[in-house]
This record gives sequence, structure tokens and C-alpha cells, in this order.
Amino acid sequence: MHAKPFRIGTVCLAALIPGMLIAVVLFLALYSWPAIQFNGVGFLFRTTWNLGNLYADPVMVRGMQVPIHAQYGILVFIVGTLATSAIALLIAIPVSLGVAIFIAEGAPPHLRPTLSLIVELLAVVPSVVYGLWGIAVLVPLIAHYIAPALNAVLGFIPFFAGGSPTGFGLLSASLVLTLMVVPIITATVYSALLQVARPDKEAAYALGAMKFEVAVRAMLPMVRGSIVGAVILGLGRALGETMAVLMVSGGAINYLPHTITTPISTMASFIVSQLDSAEQDPTGMAVRSLAEIALVLFIITVIVNVIARMITRGLHVGLASRA
Amino acid sequence: MQTRASETLLRRTFLLGTIGGTTLGLIALDPRQAAAANVTLLETGSSLLYPLFNLWVPKYTAMHPGLRITTQSTGSGTGIAQAVSGVAQIGASDAYMSFGQLKKSPGILNIPLAISAQTVNYNVPGLNDKNLKLSGPVLAGIYGGKITKWNDPEIVKINAGLTLPDHGITPIHRTDGSGDTFIFTQYLSFSTPAWGNGVGYGTTVSWPPVQGGIGAIGNPGMVQACGQTPHSIAYIGVSFHDQIAKAGLGTAPLQNRAGNFVLPTPATVGAAAGALEGKTPPDERISLIYAPGANSYPIINYEYAIVNSKQASPEIAAAVRDFLTWAVDPSGGNAPEFLDAVKFLPLTPKIADLSKRQIAKIG
Repeated sequence: MHAKPFRIGTVCLAALIPGMLIAVVLFLALYSWPAIQFNGVGFLFRTTWNLGNLYADPVMVRGMQVPIHAQYGILVFIVGTLATSAIALLIAIPVSLGVAIFIAEGAPPHLRPTLSLIVELLAVVPSVVYGLWGIAVLVPLIAHYIAPALNAVLGFIPFFAGGSPTGFGLLSASLVLTLMVVPIITATVYSALLQVARPDKEAAYALGAMKFEVAVRAMLPMVRGSIVGAVILGLGRALGETMAVLMVSGGAINYLPHTITTPISTMASFIVSQLDSAEQDPTGMAVRSLAEIALVLFIITVIVNVIARMITRGLHVGLASRA
Repeated sequence: MQTRASETLLRRTFLLGTIGGTTLGLIALDPRQAAAANVTLLETGSSLLYPLFNLWVPKYTAMHPGLRITTQSTGSGTGIAQAVSGVAQIGASDAYMSFGQLKKSPGILNIPLAISAQTVNYNVPGLNDKNLKLSGPVLAGIYGGKITKWNDPEIVKINAGLTLPDHGITPIHRTDGSGDTFIFTQYLSFSTPAWGNGVGYGTTVSWPPVQGGIGAIGNPGMVQACGQTPHSIAYIGVSFHDQIAKAGLGTAPLQNRAGNFVLPTPATVGAAAGALEGKTPPDERISLIYAPGANSYPIINYEYAIVNSKQASPEIAAAVRDFLTWAVDPSGGNAPEFLDAVKFLPLTPKIADLSKRQIAKIG
């Protein structure tokens, strides 16, 4: 008798989350529908974003009222989003694993709680703080030291050549994202490493493994699932990060990055930077196109997550067949 | 009317989160709202007008107990949108509304409150105290990617006697929507037909790809980026004069319609305002950019209050009317004690009169 209301209650609460997800997607799709019709598939492949002349009379294009010269293409922002996140993860994953192993195994035991607390504190620093630090410290550092050094050492690869007169761009955005992602991955992996059973570690030592080998060859494979989960969490933060990226990315529009120091824009930061002007579009097409960016960002996030999950499954299968 | 308001609200709920909703909620929950004598107004919009409102509001509300005015710096586009949707009673904007926007929202007034100007600043080592001259076509060349070096013949030609470095130019533009971008690109459009027909003007434009050019957020971001990047150039609101001086940036005399190079001073800004005073229509939506006159500074503008002529209640309408009437009065908000701090100029008597006529329509 008593179980029933409880059961109904929990089912309702459980349904709330997928329900909200569907509601958000549905809203985005419905709201951006006129933009989807107007922009077509080219939306994803064009590099020109032009709100058009908001002060002239709107014109009819394909049966829709739009500002004259309006054209919306987001390839630049898709590339910016994926490139910053990829570079950030490329740096963050080894760093985070190293830090997590150090705190769990290398650090003196009485320091571990303090160190893990510091990592967790870093994970909750508001992104605008990272952005300010990026502008004040990182950007000049890149302009004066890092970009010239990259040019000197790796300049024979075009991607690293050219230096950076300003410091704003792909590299600064990626490094700020790295800093935001490292605490997330570190904290998750560290708590997983704590769960590794003592007999398992002792078995590895008994086989003659050094401390480093125990950590890398015995413990890390055991927490493989947690590592992938942590990376997905970090990736989610990197893909959707708005303010910090906006502040240090150089806000590029209409061209693709060709070196690691080229200014870029990401999808999330671009939505924020354009919203105020888009509000002035009397036809509303600009705001609807921004909603379409949000929809595309959502789809990309889902695809990336699915791929990551498939990789984990592949890992498990691969290991199983080896055994 | 109803559907437009709800559509705007829907947009806001989705894209700006709960900012608008929270504000509404706060106003609705305010217990003092219940008493008829007590009125709460919300001002939101232009970040250039925000410091001025923050000087005005404490002085004015001290004289009017029972009145509360909340100020927010959100951007001109948001100011216009929230004044239209009714979330804000006063929307602040550096740009006037277009015909298209007015057609969609009839009854919205564009009321000039003061006159502002914009400086073009540069950071060229050794030349920052030399007042390097620039013109509309040269700036259009720099921001369009055709003029890429400081010793380009086009720049050398108008700067006889200065030794310009053989160094690339970093043009800095605003990434966020901005009234400063609006008036800067208007100067380029009016002085250079190729820019006007191509990129055009707006609070955000589709900037041509320029090697090394970057975007910055807000006027503080412009000052910082220009200050820490040698050989860069930026356009910055005149209210930021002190920060510009502190960053050691150079200010360029700009070529006006008559062909003379002028720096922004009260005299040159006043000359430009005077030249277009007679052309200002009753609805006061006019660009003051590239004004005629030998001594006119070419980038000045009216700072607008965007107000719905139909307010929610007679009490709110009266409060908005009284406040704005005080704001545009030379013995009230247009007094030097307020405007000098933000480097704005007062409205000329004729324009103040036009503004007061518009304010009287608020009901």
C-alpha cells in the first residue's frame, strides 16, 4: 500500500530529467525552425557570418523576411569549438593523470587531503576568473614568450609558425580551457584510484613492480572506465565553456584558423557575443540563427559523447579478447 | 502586442536565462510597490551610459523619496529589447532604432539624453604623443585588410614629418554588440563608399578577415588589448579618456567632412553637434557622424533613452517623465557636475527642447 505513492513519485522525478532534455531540444528545434529553413545545410559549411543591414528595410528571401545581405555560416565556430577542446584535452589528460597518481600514490599521506581539496577548489573557480587571468597573464605571456618560442622550435611546421603579435587566439583559449578541465579530470581519477583494492596493489608489488609501474600498469587500467568518464566530463565543460573563451580567443569571424595562434571563436562564446546585436534584428532571423547554433552545439556534444562511450566499450572488448 | 511581448519573453527566457525574469520577480515582490507613492524603475542597456545613470540616480532619488531606480549595464541591443518588451522602463542605447524596429514596435520613443564622442587610439611605440593623423578611408583600409603596415603610403601621405615604422598593424574591434561599433562603422561607411556598400554599419558587423586582427570585449577590453599590443589600433568611447591616458595610448586627429584633421575637444564635438542640430527631426533619430563644418569632430552621437510611450500605470509614466525631464535639463542631469565626469557634452537648448517634447508623450 505504501509502496505505490513512493513508486509513482520516484518515477515522476526520474522522468523529469529526460523530460527536460526533450523539452530543451524540442524548443531549440521549433524556435530555430525558420532559421533552419533559411540557412539550409550550408549553415554548417559556410565561413561567413553577416547579420545584414539591420538599418535597411528587410527583404524577402525564399519566402522569409530577412535583413538585406544577411548570411549565416558557422563553420568557423564549429572548428574553433572542436579545436580548442581537442588541444585542451590533449594537454589536460596526461597532466591530470600525473597529478592524480601523484596525490594518490606519490605524495606524503598526511598531505593528500589538502592536495585533493586544492584540486577540488580549482574545479569550482568561476570561469570568468580564469578569463581575467587569461587576459592579464596568459595572453601577454603567449605574445612575448610562448608564441616566439614555438615559432623558433617548431616553426618548420606551418601550424606552429608565425608567432603572435597579440597573444589572443586558439592557443590562449585552449590553455585556459586546459586549466579548467585539469581539476575536473584529476579529482575524478583521484577518487577512483582511492578505490583500488589494497590486495591488487600488493599483488603488483609482489611481482616486483616499482611504484611507478604499479600506478601506471596496474592501477590505471583498473580505473579505465573512470578515466573515460572523467575525460567526458572535462570535454563537456570545454565544449560548452563561454565566458573565459570569449575573453581570450580574439573573437575571430569570417576566417578559419591556420596556425595555433590565430584568433578563433567557439559556438558558445559566439552566441553570447552576438546576442545583443541580434536582438536588434526586426525580422528575428538573427536570434533564431543563434538558437540554431545552440542546437548544433547540442548535437555535437551528443555525438562526441557517443563516440567516447563507443571507445570505452572497444577498450573493454579489446582487453577481454587479449585475456 | 501581446504575442510580440510573449515572444520576446520566450526568447529572453531561453537565451538570457533568468535575468529578465528575476528582475521582474524582484520588482513584483518588493513590498513597497504596494503603496501608490512608491515606484520602482528599471534602467538597462548601454555600458557607455551606465556610469552616467549611476551618477544621476543617487542624486535624483535622494530628492524623490519613495522612488527607486535600478541600473544595469547590459548592452544597447538588450536595452532596446527590454524597453520594448516592458521589462525595463528605460532602455539605454548608443544607437537609435531602425525603421524596421519601429515598425514592429510603434510607440517607442528615442530620446537623446546627452552627446558622446569616440576616439580612435593607437599604440605605436615612440609615436603615442605625436597625434598621428588618420582618415576614414585609411581606417577603412586598415579594418578592411588593404592597409597592413604603419608605413603604408596612404598613412605616410597624411603624416608628413613623422617617421612611421615598417611594422604590421593589429586592428582591434569589438566582439560584443556595441554602440561604439555602430558609430565607428558609420564613420567608415559615410567617408568611404566602398565600406558603406560592402561591410556597412551596425552594432556588430561582418568584419573582413584581417591577418592578425583581433576582437575585444567592452571598452575596458579595448583599452587593455591596445595597451598590451604594440602597433595596434582601437576605437574607444570618450568616457574612457582617463584609462586611455593611463595606458599611454595615442589619440588620432580624424579627418572630417571638410578635410581637416581634428581632435575631440568640447569645441570640435560642439561644432559637429551644432552643425546637425537644425537637421534633427522631431523623433530625433539621426546620425551625427561625419558632420559638415571646418571644425567638426567626425565621430559623435546622441546617447538615447529608449522608452515606451505607453507605460504600465500612470504613476510609473509620471516617474519616468519627471526623471527624464530632469535628466535633459541643463540645471539637472545635463549639468557639468554629472557630464564632465564621463566626458559627455550637454544637449544644445534646441535638442533638449525636442527631447522634452518627446518625454511629454509618455503616458
